[in-house]
Amino acid sequence: MSTPRIRIRTGNQMVAEGALHAGCLFFAGYPITPASGIYKSMIEELPKRNGVAISSPDEISALAYCVGASARGAKAMTATSGPGWSLMVETVQYALMTELPVVIAVVQRLGPSTGGATQGAQGDVLLTEYCTSGAYTIPVFAPSTAAECFEVTTLATYWAEELRTPVVVLSDKEIGMMSEDVNIDALHAWPVHQRKSVPAGENGAYKTYDFASPADVPLFAPVGGEHKTTITGSAHDKRGALQKNSPETIAVLRHLQEKVTARAEEMAYVKTDDDPGADTLVVSFGITARTAKEAAAQARAKGRRVRLVNVISLFPVPETLLTAAAEGCSRVLVAEENMTGQYRSVIRHLFPGKSVEGINGFGAMITPDAILERIMA
Amino acid sequence: MSTVQQTTFLRESVAFPFCKGCGHHHYVHNLDRAFAALQLDPQKACIVSDIGCIGILDALFATPHTFHTTHGRSTAFATGVELADGILHDSKLKSVVVIGDGGATIGLLHVVNAALMNVDVTVLVANNMLYGMTGGQNSGFSPLEFVTPTTPEGNIVPPMDICAMVKSCGAEYVTRVSATDKNLAGVIADAIAHPGFALVEIVELCTEFAIGRNKIDGKVIQSMSSGYEPALLPTTFARKEFCEEYKEKVLGRPAKTKDDTITQKYISSLRGAKRWVIAGTAGEKVQLSSYLLMRAGILCGLHATQKNDNPVTQGSGFSLSEVVMSSGDIHYTGITVPDAVIIASAEGLKEVTVNGTFARCAPSTVIVMEDSLPELQSPARVYRVPMRSLCTPLRATTSAAAALLARENLLPREAMAESIRLHVGEKAALYEQDIEKLLPLLA
Repeated sequence: MSTPRIRIRTGNQMVAEGALHAGCLFFAGYPITPASGIYKSMIEELPKRNGVAISSPDEISALAYCVGASARGAKAMTATSGPGWSLMVETVQYALMTELPVVIAVVQRLGPSTGGATQGAQGDVLLTEYCTSGAYTIPVFAPSTAAECFEVTTLATYWAEELRTPVVVLSDKEIGMMSEDVNIDALHAWPVHQRKSVPAGENGAYKTYDFASPADVPLFAPVGGEHKTTITGSAHDKRGALQKNSPETIAVLRHLQEKVTARAEEMAYVKTDDDPGADTLVVSFGITARTAKEAAAQARAKGRRVRLVNVISLFPVPETLLTAAAEGCSRVLVAEENMTGQYRSVIRHLFPGKSVEGINGFGAMITPDAILERIMA
Repeated sequence: MSTVQQTTFLRESVAFPFCKGCGHHHYVHNLDRAFAALQLDPQKACIVSDIGCIGILDALFATPHTFHTTHGRSTAFATGVELADGILHDSKLKSVVVIGDGGATIGLLHVVNAALMNVDVTVLVANNMLYGMTGGQNSGFSPLEFVTPTTPEGNIVPPMDICAMVKSCGAEYVTRVSATDKNLAGVIADAIAHPGFALVEIVELCTEFAIGRNKIDGKVIQSMSSGYEPALLPTTFARKEFCEEYKEKVLGRPAKTKDDTITQKYISSLRGAKRWVIAGTAGEKVQLSSYLLMRAGILCGLHATQKNDNPVTQGSGFSLSEVVMSSGDIHYTGITVPDAVIIASAEGLKEVTVNGTFARCAPSTVIVMEDSLPELQSPARVYRVPMRSLCTPLRATTSAAAALLARENLLPREAMAESIRLHVGEKAALYEQDIEKLLPLLA
């Protein structure tokens, strides 16, 4: 076996490298700690590949530029943190409604408001997921290492293109700004994927939002291409004509959700560190999943049977995988760096009859001892 | 490509959804005439519409692409379309933003920024001086004394002059005309044809909310006070369109040839993890020290992480860096009990005290600190060395870290030397001398 090739990279750099690998050719950015490293990397790298990396005057413009570019057919991405995400929410909804793929990396910091720019947190789990009127499912993927930042960004791009919907990479300050050794020979990438396009020569017959079954994803045609496109963020029929509440319009609005939920099982992605005889399941994600790993190793050394799940696909909630992971366990501990147990509130119903407990931190990383203590209790 | 030249881009016998007498009728017809006059291929035309009465005109058009967006943001979406079209494609698509004075008020930044960039977007502002769709509220374009449902005593805030505004941003094609102007189609066509940002402010009257409340009519619109004088058409154009500029100046930047791949060259005796904190003054290479340490560890096949901290302003106050090196995967990336702490200055000392590192030192911790700093009470083993004077402030933390590394025998000394050499070249010899001076003091 040859010696592994190692590079020192931050999580932010690896998000950028993942996006480039996935074929992202358009990035619009507005600086914000702790996400700026992604912006910087894309500004450095994209022009070398004849791509567009551009500074925008604010986060609203950044995402609108991306969605405009996506309408022209480009794989597009931006990156921000909680305060910038707040400004982008209008356009996230627009991208969802207009079925224009875009990837948004949200590198969490301590909130609320401008909060603590250089303090880590996992407090934007619900903010990113539940940002739409109608509470549509936005796929949210969370990396826990620099290498996973690469992988998860290729995965997010895959699903954004496949489903034609906005997808979030939910990182945090610790993962984003910390440097670590990355074995570039061991990186995992998801297939490079392009939204399915309408074939040439169907001019006149093309409907921008056409589908046969509600879970189908409409075939894409770019603005500026041979098929006349009719894009709108208002309630519309399959042609893209503004409608109040015709049955077809309501079907289109339902389809926006159904195309995502129909693929939920496929999107489900967790990393399980199993012990078949475990009585305790620890569920975590992002930076805290690393800490949970350390705590579990210590618990096992003390003879405790514990199973770990690192949830990569936070949303759609990987219900089947989580339910299966809890099999045989009487307790489910959900470790996350926010005050109220945001992800726990979403998954607790999956574990009837089991004790579901939160391990929460705020203002600092959760320590291995804090998790160990609860495993051993 | 269409083979038959279209005389209209509008849908056949479509009923306009506007009130009788509304200037939007003129707007739509003249936009359509402009498209026809330009003989645009409809596949290469995109109407990017905003919210409001004028924003629903997209449904009237049959053949160009239509992109109905959110309130005020239309210019930003159009900018994105044109950036992708102009840089990633053949730059043939013409995007026309259809926006009212309300949308222009909300999205002023997007209009201003498109003008600054000189991106190939044409913004046609339908200025009827109020928000028509939502009940006639005054907008940022309402003239002084203008009576609306929300300014019943007359508007007391002067209107913005969007033409002057975008001109000040370098926009070259800017003009203001009345919706009833006989040459409106020609003006719009010129604006669309202009290879860069163009803005036409089309002044209209809202029959529903303006007429009746105000003593104005179409005849006096052009001579209204408060900045509604007709603007002159431009005669010269000097700026290059943004995408052209970008392709010329930014694209094709040579790829960096520097390969920063590291492969293991040395063997470390370390089993388990070591967690180090290095603290000093911002600008004195604290974070570089940690990077070199981390790199040395990786040269020995170890895993390593590095985290940096500094105040909000980057060049003053403290600088603090944490490095974890481990023979196994590093899961928890924080430092509870540090194995080593290097403190090079008063700022660094203050920071390790404030952030709790100092309080978490244990008998197993080694502290190497600048000897001019105050005495400390700590269970740790403390070495006080004149690192600033022996090594200079800029080399102090790196040399102290390298000396401690050698003293603890965690890595082969050559690994750190190589790491330093790679970064500073020939000056590495100075660090070697520093280490020799420091080593006896760490005995």
